[in-house]
Amino acid sequence: MIAASGSRSTSGYAGVLRTLGGVGGHFGRVRAPLGAPHLTDASFAAFLVLPALLGILLVVGFPLLYSFWMSLAQVNLLRTTGPALEFFGIRLPLFKFVGIDNYASVFVDPLYWSSFWRTAYFVLAFVAETTVVGLGMALVLQESFPGRPLMRSLLLIPWSLSRVVVGLLWQGLLDGEFGALNGLLYNLGMIESYIAFFKQGFSALNVLVSVYMWNQAPFATLLFLAAMQSVPEDHYMAASVDGAGYWQRLWHVTLPAIRPVVFLVLVLATVNGFLMLDLIYVMTMGGPGHDTTTISWLGFQTAFAFFKFGTGTAILYTLTALCLALTFVYHRLLLRRFEADA
Amino acid sequence: MNGIDRRTFLGHAGVLGASLFLADGSRSLARADRPLNFSGWVFKPDTVKDYVNLYNQKFSGQVKYEAIPWAQYHPTMETRAFAGEVVDVMYCNHNNRERWFESGLIRALDDLPGLDELKKKMTPANLDSLKSKDGTKLLGLPYFTSLFVLMYNEPMLKDAGIAAPAKSWDELVEHCQKLRRDKISDTPFLPNWNASPSGTMPQLMTDCFSEGAQVFDAKNQLIVDQEPGAARAMERWQKVYKANLVNPEVLTKTSSTDTHRLMWTGRYAYHTNHSYYLKTIAGEPENSKLAPKKAKMTMYPGTGQTYMWTDSYVVNAKTKVLDDAWKFARFLGGNLAGDWYVQRQWCLISGLDNPYPEMYDHPEIVKSYDRWIDLKLLRQQYQKGKVIAAYKEPWYGEYDTKAVPIVHDMIRGSLTVPKALKDLVKLQKSLA
Repeated sequence: MIAASGSRSTSGYAGVLRTLGGVGGHFGRVRAPLGAPHLTDASFAAFLVLPALLGILLVVGFPLLYSFWMSLAQVNLLRTTGPALEFFGIRLPLFKFVGIDNYASVFVDPLYWSSFWRTAYFVLAFVAETTVVGLGMALVLQESFPGRPLMRSLLLIPWSLSRVVVGLLWQGLLDGEFGALNGLLYNLGMIESYIAFFKQGFSALNVLVSVYMWNQAPFATLLFLAAMQSVPEDHYMAASVDGAGYWQRLWHVTLPAIRPVVFLVLVLATVNGFLMLDLIYVMTMGGPGHDTTTISWLGFQTAFAFFKFGTGTAILYTLTALCLALTFVYHRLLLRRFEADA
Repeated sequence: MNGIDRRTFLGHAGVLGASLFLADGSRSLARADRPLNFSGWVFKPDTVKDYVNLYNQKFSGQVKYEAIPWAQYHPTMETRAFAGEVVDVMYCNHNNRERWFESGLIRALDDLPGLDELKKKMTPANLDSLKSKDGTKLLGLPYFTSLFVLMYNEPMLKDAGIAAPAKSWDELVEHCQKLRRDKISDTPFLPNWNASPSGTMPQLMTDCFSEGAQVFDAKNQLIVDQEPGAARAMERWQKVYKANLVNPEVLTKTSSTDTHRLMWTGRYAYHTNHSYYLKTIAGEPENSKLAPKKAKMTMYPGTGQTYMWTDSYVVNAKTKVLDDAWKFARFLGGNLAGDWYVQRQWCLISGLDNPYPEMYDHPEIVKSYDRWIDLKLLRQQYQKGKVIAAYKEPWYGEYDTKAVPIVHDMIRGSLTVPKALKDLVKLQKSLA
């Protein structure tokens, strides 16, 4: 018995329940409880979302907090004595608290800073390539031409492949010894000898950017395409009447209309770029030298190769901070005016 | 008709439910000390499954096997231990064994029955490898031992008019220069310079040993900056790279397996890698252009000494089924049934080097090795295998990984040899 007694409102939660009772009458009648507390709409809404909130807190919030704590501690997974949290018989060691020592050691490490600048380049190049290529493909697929449905389906194949597979595939294609791309270019007479794409660090880094873009751009295309299809046709017609050509329509109609999706693509590409790890693992292992070592690879190595989970977590939390900061910047640049206009 | 009333039905149902619960509970209790968890990194998991099944049938065991990808294997095992899970028998590589022991994850095996007999059968160098840092305890039974060898492409050398493989480093470099000059091979030399833990650094130690240099002193401190042989090895590496005798992409290969596959193409004259890779290069015509036996091994140049390590099966310190775990560990790393079954399988299937010399007297193994290698020569090379103790230090894993970019920068010429040697020593000291 959950409905509030005496309430005749149909807008409140009792009304909702009455409606439910009416609609699904065969489930039984909803009766007003005797002495049940009076809940406001807001409280009732909070009551309904509470289980979901608790779930999110448990599976997202708690690991986040615990990993942040680890970034402030000296962690050895095999030595777990000392203070601990206990929940329902599960013991979570708190390890030795070291304050900001892990962060301090990270920020004085020259390797961190070289990885930082390499990461910045990687993210910048990846975001630019993904956005431009994704938008370009969306513009092409927006047009009518024979085979468009097939092209739209094929488009998703790179995105749907596991990144380990993508890495191995491109490693094979680009190999300086027996790579198919080298074979093709050589047979077409475009190169005199096979190119070692991974010989120079900068070249290897750019290969990683391009391969990751190949994998991720289709998703950006999908988002752009969906946004473009929701732009009212009248806007284009009006622009055409005003004498706007293709590029003017693109600049003055399409792009402003899909700005929220541009924001979304930029945020997703930035976060994905910062966190990219698997391709490095499969294709270069951070080498040659440190030339493809990004912050995510450095954090992974520190945690999982050197077993310094505290320092590794601290390195990776700096990435989280960067992602948040850039999301904020994108929001300020792209969406504030749009929201104001709206 | 006498019906059953609700009260009786509920009563009987309750009794039945309780009986089932108790029966299952008691059965669980009876089974609890029998299942045995076994984990290893992914290397021919079907072979492992086969011998686990054989063990379960032959010895009424209840071993549950799980393969974990190599890259995540050791962190995963530590995470599981952190969560309170007990994996009774595990693989453990040499770099992590001491750390696992000191942290209480694994136990010493010295008090377990039958160990002394196995110790007597093992090569002293491998036995030392498996001992704790202070040399008093044995921490694991051998899975396999790894040894660097020099392989060569016999048809290519013959095409170039080179009658015999190089016996010295200078000769090897000369051969490679000639092969390149004569356009027989673009990059005739294929050293194992990949970035993984089984690549660049073991290769560097091997080449230092072959030059007569020590890499670590008795206190496990890195001393390459005081060893002229180490400088000679590095200078040669720089020289062959600069002269385009090496495929530069070997630096970004992610494993020794990937590296050795390049040799399959038949486009390289010399290759240094773990001995067992010669089995695929010279013994698998379906994969390699250098099979059957067109690729051969020759004694390592210089002193002939090469780096050797031993990876192992270890027993969890918290196992509740110690007798069963030890029995299974002996099946894997020893001679439980008197036929060295698992040890023999690895020799036959993968050509993995083995720390028990008597393995190589077995006719089946002699016949099998004859298909891809000169066993007598391999045994001679094995006698020159050199082990170190530095990997028992807690800093070793980090040093081993962080040293790779320094060595790669040296190879590519962005660091001079003296600077690289100093940087390596500085790195080691900063971690120790």
